[in-house]
Amino acid sequence: MKRTRIPTRTALLLGGLLIALLVPLALKSSQYNLVLATTVLLFAAIATAWNIIGGMGGQLDLAAGAYLGLGAFTTGTLLIRWNITPWVGMLVGGLVATGFAVLVGWPLFRFGVKEVWYALSSSALVEVLRVIFLMWDQVGGPVERYLPYYAFSLYHLRFNSYIPFYYLMLVLLLITLGINHRIRHSRLGYSLLALGENEDAAEVLGVNAQACKLQALMLYAFLVGAMGGVYACMYGFIHPNFFSGTMSTEVAILGIVGGMGITYGPLLAAFLLVSIRELLRANLGGGLEGLYLVIYASVLIVIALYRPRGLATLLQDLFRQVQTRLAQRKEAGHGAVTDA
Amino acid sequence: MGQTIIQNLINGSMMGAIYALIALGLSIVYGVMNVVNFAHGDFVMLSMYFTFWAGTLLVWDAVATPLLTVPLLFIIGVLTYYFLIERTLRQLYVTQIAVTVGLQTLLRALTQVVWKAQPRALQYSIIQGSVEIGGYNIMFSRLISAGVSLIIIVAIYLFLSKTWMGRAIRAASDDLDAASLVGVDYRRTYAFSLGLGSALTAIAGGLLMTFQQVDPTMGVRFALLSWCVLALAGLGSIPGLLISGLIVGSAESLSVSLWDPRARSLVIYMIFILVLWLRPRGLFGRK
Repeated sequence: MKRTRIPTRTALLLGGLLIALLVPLALKSSQYNLVLATTVLLFAAIATAWNIIGGMGGQLDLAAGAYLGLGAFTTGTLLIRWNITPWVGMLVGGLVATGFAVLVGWPLFRFGVKEVWYALSSSALVEVLRVIFLMWDQVGGPVERYLPYYAFSLYHLRFNSYIPFYYLMLVLLLITLGINHRIRHSRLGYSLLALGENEDAAEVLGVNAQACKLQALMLYAFLVGAMGGVYACMYGFIHPNFFSGTMSTEVAILGIVGGMGITYGPLLAAFLLVSIRELLRANLGGGLEGLYLVIYASVLIVIALYRPRGLATLLQDLFRQVQTRLAQRKEAGHGAVTDA
Repeated sequence: MGQTIIQNLINGSMMGAIYALIALGLSIVYGVMNVVNFAHGDFVMLSMYFTFWAGTLLVWDAVATPLLTVPLLFIIGVLTYYFLIERTLRQLYVTQIAVTVGLQTLLRALTQVVWKAQPRALQYSIIQGSVEIGGYNIMFSRLISAGVSLIIIVAIYLFLSKTWMGRAIRAASDDLDAASLVGVDYRRTYAFSLGLGSALTAIAGGLLMTFQQVDPTMGVRFALLSWCVLALAGLGSIPGLLISGLIVGSAESLSVSLWDPRARSLVIYMIFILVLWLRPRGLFGRK
């Protein structure tokens, strides 16, 4: 049983990766589809990072936009003011986001702010940062600040095509998935999962809730901050609206709908829902404004109601069914395989 | 300077009474069912649009529209319970949030489809003009809105403490199992609570439309605003809600005129975050 399972998984992973690598070749003719694919990857990467604090740790963080915005503004400002390469900017942006996470996470976890109140206070943080950057004329302000233009510059991370950004987002997504996987099978991961199930019980069993949550929040903030750097370069400007409450909520929803604590859940949800949303927007956007969101929201509600444990469980069920079916066939002998 | 501060305190308090009314609806839903309704602010927005509709299509005055919008929002609340919330009661709270965020997105998108994205306002209401008292300017529309909000809040307070249904609601919020034992039907109670909580937003929406315009982003603002008032008050205290509403309204008004109009949400959210850190039970909460 085990022997067949690992190769299937590896095959699936490699197959997925191969498809992901080939997507730009297939979409080369259409700039729009490339933007769409990159957007899907971006949301998938952020939602996968969210899985560390939200999915595993059960802390409903609604502040992804805060970390993304901090990373974008750090990277953008370093590049615009001092011509510092975004490769460095990304790391610094990640660190700034981490610092901010510690600043707000420490008191939140220290004072035991939980569940809905944690969600709402993190959501408020995004708006607080947006307003601060709107009022802070030296760095932000109401007008977009443009990054220097280059047709192709690795140093400035500026390209006149989305293809490099697509691959960059893919790499970030893979890194985030890898980190997720590592954590999932580590002491921190088990502690987080226990916290997500039942915080009081986990603490009785000796889990240091405060420290675990803070570690998870820091990791998540760093990853999203670094993605913010790429985000700024991809769009070519920075603006306080990067601190978006809507986006932050959407990231959390992707994490929930994908399946809390399942590594590839958010990826699956982002892949399905973000492409549905963007395709609907492209095809219906011209006619009735907002109609695509009506459909998108309805899909979301239906999934949340009928698959409360997440889309990933759908896949798990399917996987299990195929496995049992295969096992049954093996038992029945070789004759059964040929008629398939 | 002193005069400006007092003028802003007056304006802010009048606004705060409406905030308290909105937060009261939220606190009934959250307090009774422990259901986190992220779409509460969007019910306010929806009420404002319905008021706009009644005002333009039926040529009703904004003051009269609650006659129409209150029953409508009550029904919407009850339907929301039976179709969406009931299925999530036994799920993790994140599922409830996912569903109500979905509802929030749906409502906002629907208003965009029906009313487009631009702001809408009613041109005329019978309550207009203002009065000058001791050098302070008081707008009638705001004054009457604050007065009506106060009356409704008192009425709800009496309803919750004196009537059987009100007591059933409070019993369900204290201990559902015990309440069921003495004959409280939780489905009906829950559905009624969500209906009542939503109906209150209809009154608030009608009042707001006498002096304000509405746009699709309004929902998010009122959602966080009412959670802020609720956090400040804590659960279970109606007078506390009123005081918190006044504090939030005044803080908002003061920050806009003394600091920067853009700082409006900044100050409110900072209060919200600080309250959660320092007094998680709120100023007047009992649980």
